[in-house]
Amino acid sequence: MAGGANPNNVTPPANVNPFNAAAMAQGVAMDRVGQGLTATAADGMSNYTNPYETQVVEATLRDVGSQAEMGMNNLAAQAQQAKAFGGSRHGIAMSELGKSFNQQALDQAARLRQQGFTTALGASQTDMATQLGAAGQLAGLGQQAFNYGKDIQNQQMVQGALQQQLSQALIDAAKGQYAGYTGAPGNALQQIISALAGAPSSAGQLAGETEKYQPGLFNFLQVAASA
Amino acid sequence: MSGGSKSTQKNLPKFYEQDLQQGMDFAQDVAAVGYTPYYGPDVAAFSPMQNASFDSTNMMAGAFNMPTADPANYMPEPTTFANGIQGYSSAPLYGEAVDALAANRPGQKNYIDSFFVDPVTGAPGANQPSAQPVQYEMTAKRGK
Repeated sequence: MAGGANPNNVTPPANVNPFNAAAMAQGVAMDRVGQGLTATAADGMSNYTNPYETQVVEATLRDVGSQAEMGMNNLAAQAQQAKAFGGSRHGIAMSELGKSFNQQALDQAARLRQQGFTTALGASQTDMATQLGAAGQLAGLGQQAFNYGKDIQNQQMVQGALQQQLSQALIDAAKGQYAGYTGAPGNALQQIISALAGAPSSAGQLAGETEKYQPGLFNFLQVAASA
Repeated sequence: MSGGSKSTQKNLPKFYEQDLQQGMDFAQDVAAVGYTPYYGPDVAAFSPMQNASFDSTNMMAGAFNMPTADPANYMPEPTTFANGIQGYSSAPLYGEAVDALAANRPGQKNYIDSFFVDPVTGAPGANQPSAQPVQYEMTAKRGK
């Protein structure tokens, strides 16, 4: 594994609230992506190194050695039959055969080690890609969880406001009734004022007249003369 | 010049004078009622679903290590009124303000009160209009 935080191993608790789930997912995803900025596949290759690689190489070398030995024996037998054993031609043939088997052994060992390296590198790279992909998926799931929670919260707010409005409407109705009660005397007065305000025109028609006579100086003189 | 003069004066009918007197009396009585405070709820409390919404917002903030706020720190516990309606009344605030007026400006408060009946005993205020009767210059018998 390339990094320390593996999104594949993150299992949010079943009863966690959506916001905690979102925060957890986001945190893990951010950690993994952050690690991916500097991590290389080399970090994870040791997980895929075949612990038996050396044994396999050694076994292969032994096989090559056995074949070399058998080849040397055959060459010696052939040299004896040709009465050339120990001769210069035998020596040259033995030397060439030895070089050939040595090269074979080196080639086999190198091939095996290269195969192990390539396998480990590929597996580690696949791990990195899988983990980064999982981190992206986890971030998406976190966003989804957050949106679930936010939508539910919005619904709670909207429905709660409706409930509060209903209560407020009842309160307002009660206040209206109360205002009607306490305002009843004033309303009654208004009706009386309206009635009185409309009355003078009709009352004027029914009004009586009083004649007043103010006596003058001549009247007083007349009274005095007749006395 | 004879010096005499004659004038004509129109008089309202007696029934109208009586109505006018009664209206004035009634107005004075009504004016003496004074202010009648409302002791019921004014504002509906947050509904349980709204409180759940607040909790959800706190949950949201808490999940990301952001500050949260307890709604109880903002508003006091609501009062439960008739029919289980929960809400807040402005009556305590009103009472507090009137008490503060009485403490700080007792003369002014008492003067205001003097125009109206005592809200507890119903006794007439010293300065309410009916306590200072005037003689109507009318031909009809007052109030009847």
